[in-house]
Amino acid sequence: MSNVTRTPFVRLAKRTDIDPRRAWIIRVASIVIALVLGCIPMLVTGTNPVEAYSVIVQGSLLRPVYFRQTVKIAIPLLACALAIAPCFKMRFWNIGAEGQITIGAMCATYFALYWADRVPHVMLLLIMFLAGVVGGGLWALIPAFFKAKWNTNETLFTLMMNYIAIGIVAWLQGGPWEGRQGSQIIPKFADAARLPNVLGVHIGWIFSLVLVVLMYFYMNKTKQGYEIAVIGDSTNTARYAGMNVGYIMMRTMAISGAISGFVGFMIVAGANYTLYSGVADGVGFTAISVAWLSQLNPFAMIVISMLLAVLDKGSTTLQSRLGVPASVSDIITGILLFTMLSCEFFINYRLIFRGRAQDKEDGK
Amino acid sequence: MKRLSLVLIVLAMVSAMVFAGGSSESAAATGDSNTVKVGLICIGDENDQGYTYNFIRGRDEATENLAAEGINVEWVTIYNIGEDSSCVDANIEAAEQGCQIIINNSYGFEPYMLEVVDDYPEITFISCTSYMSWNDGRDNTHNAFANIYEGRYIAGVVAGMKLQQMIDEGQITPEQAVIGYVGAFPFAEVVSGYTSYFLGARSVCPSVTMKVMYVSSWSDATAESDAALALIDQGCVLISQHSDNTTPATAAQSRGVFHTGYNNDMTGIAPDASLIGTRIDWGIYFTEAIRAYVNGEEIPQDWCKGMGEGAVVMTPLNEAIAAPGTAEKIAEVEAAIADGSLEVFDTSTFTVGGQTVTTAMALDTDGDFTPDSVEAVHDGAFHESEAQSAPYFTLRIDGIVELN
Repeated sequence: MSNVTRTPFVRLAKRTDIDPRRAWIIRVASIVIALVLGCIPMLVTGTNPVEAYSVIVQGSLLRPVYFRQTVKIAIPLLACALAIAPCFKMRFWNIGAEGQITIGAMCATYFALYWADRVPHVMLLLIMFLAGVVGGGLWALIPAFFKAKWNTNETLFTLMMNYIAIGIVAWLQGGPWEGRQGSQIIPKFADAARLPNVLGVHIGWIFSLVLVVLMYFYMNKTKQGYEIAVIGDSTNTARYAGMNVGYIMMRTMAISGAISGFVGFMIVAGANYTLYSGVADGVGFTAISVAWLSQLNPFAMIVISMLLAVLDKGSTTLQSRLGVPASVSDIITGILLFTMLSCEFFINYRLIFRGRAQDKEDGK
Repeated sequence: MKRLSLVLIVLAMVSAMVFAGGSSESAAATGDSNTVKVGLICIGDENDQGYTYNFIRGRDEATENLAAEGINVEWVTIYNIGEDSSCVDANIEAAEQGCQIIINNSYGFEPYMLEVVDDYPEITFISCTSYMSWNDGRDNTHNAFANIYEGRYIAGVVAGMKLQQMIDEGQITPEQAVIGYVGAFPFAEVVSGYTSYFLGARSVCPSVTMKVMYVSSWSDATAESDAALALIDQGCVLISQHSDNTTPATAAQSRGVFHTGYNNDMTGIAPDASLIGTRIDWGIYFTEAIRAYVNGEEIPQDWCKGMGEGAVVMTPLNEAIAAPGTAEKIAEVEAAIADGSLEVFDTSTFTVGGQTVTTAMALDTDGDFTPDSVEAVHDGAFHESEAQSAPYFTLRIDGIVELN
């Protein structure tokens, strides 16, 4: 009697060969579940969920002006997810994109403030772009160097670097770059330092889409992309194959930081036209979710970043039209991220319930 | 496969419902002529019990006033907007919902508001407490502020009377009459505020001095409390504030010192400490501006009124702890300010570096953020909020020490 092991109620089994179509059904189902769960906070606040969802869609997509704003929100999310992707592919947990954006924005802002009257429009934007890219890249190189040299914990290192970056900008904002004394506001950029609009949204959307294609090729079709994938699977294999792991890590982080710095440049030159300590506004963190939800697939990132932007933009309309607090749509976003990330679990694992397993054995 | 089709059906249903509701909006914009739709974009929400709460109070007051005149105001209030490009989005949002007037309630909103105004020339945009719009060559941009320094002066008188009472009763020596002031930033509005407060206190308590500590945030409950406690540790026996939270009041209460507030009545939260507060009554301006709009009149581009017109009010005096005779003194000073016989920044009452001030510029016209035009000192006083509504008094007078 005692040596009979009770089968647990639920067991997990690793799925090895899931039908990709089935995987996508699970992913779509998770979105639907999130939308259904999202009804709960709405009902609690006394809002009709159907009306609320329709307001979110209307307020983010159904008017040209709304659609343009939604795209404006999606651009940095998309570009920053692209920046993070190679790091995550390499299993290098770069959660410092927030700081890399901030430093990129800061470097671009320097030239916007002090070179605007010296160089022509396109030239100035080019200089700002380079400044942002170099600034973000160097900032990201610091934790990568320490990781490569002394195997420091990159998660903590990149995280802490964020606060330093934000602190530096906060100091500039209240000190050397401040406009009216005590205002904490850096003056707005001159027209020469602003990105032009294409179809009503700053030209960054074109750059970001080009970047999607470039990143797809980089990750999937180049030798460097292959090296990143090998390191992600096993650093020992990479070493055995003769790869210089430390060098590849630093190179990948520099690319990642450079793209984040580019995001910072786009935010200050295309959207805000000024710099402040909260310039990254959580994009560096949200982009991690975007990258992860997309399975590091650059094309999927377009969809995911738009989805989050729709919720973000729609929440403003939701609040102003139905009086729903913006935090309710933050909750829905949270639920959405949670279900979508956890659905990957069900794609990778199969649940076996006790009863059903018994039946199977009986049937044998 | 069956499950896939189920999912698709659900999605189709959801999107059908969503799109069905698509064309229902923007009908409200074309109501009758006595209904006006007004957007109010706020940096916080009413839970701050301070800055934004004060605007919400003004909003409700204006709605009531105008309803009595037969004007219906439909408000679109957008809360918790940051001083960043989300402020652009909020202004567009209000405009797209058919608002005819859009009010921005924070100083830092103005540059973002100005990005939007040219796309909606028929909408009236208002930026409260700021200074760029009235002067930007556009017809649809406006500024508004009130002479809050008058209210602060009176709060200072109340504080000074309390300190003088403590000196007279031997609780403190005249040198120990030190006020601690929790300020947000070394910004003109703050400097103007604490200077007027100090001058009010010194008008009734000649030995008073003041220490100012900046918390580097307009709203940071913990930092404000910490600053108040630090000031008390340095010997301050009375705390006042230019920051959004009530924590300086509770800090004062916990240490047994006195306090005067801003934006809201804080005597409820600190009954043994808070003597009085002062606030802008935005209802006065909102009523005037919306009425003018409905009647087809022009809204002043740079509106500024004071205590005489009710735009600045005192919160109820805490009679239980205030010095005897305070209420009478308040009435007397209020009347003197209203009829112009008392100038808050009377140059004979203060010195800068030991010298009486004879000249000071009010406005910056060349964009270097140093005032260079319009003389503010004339007729024996520095005239605050005369050249424009937003404060520009930035002199550092003798008797006040900035600690950081």
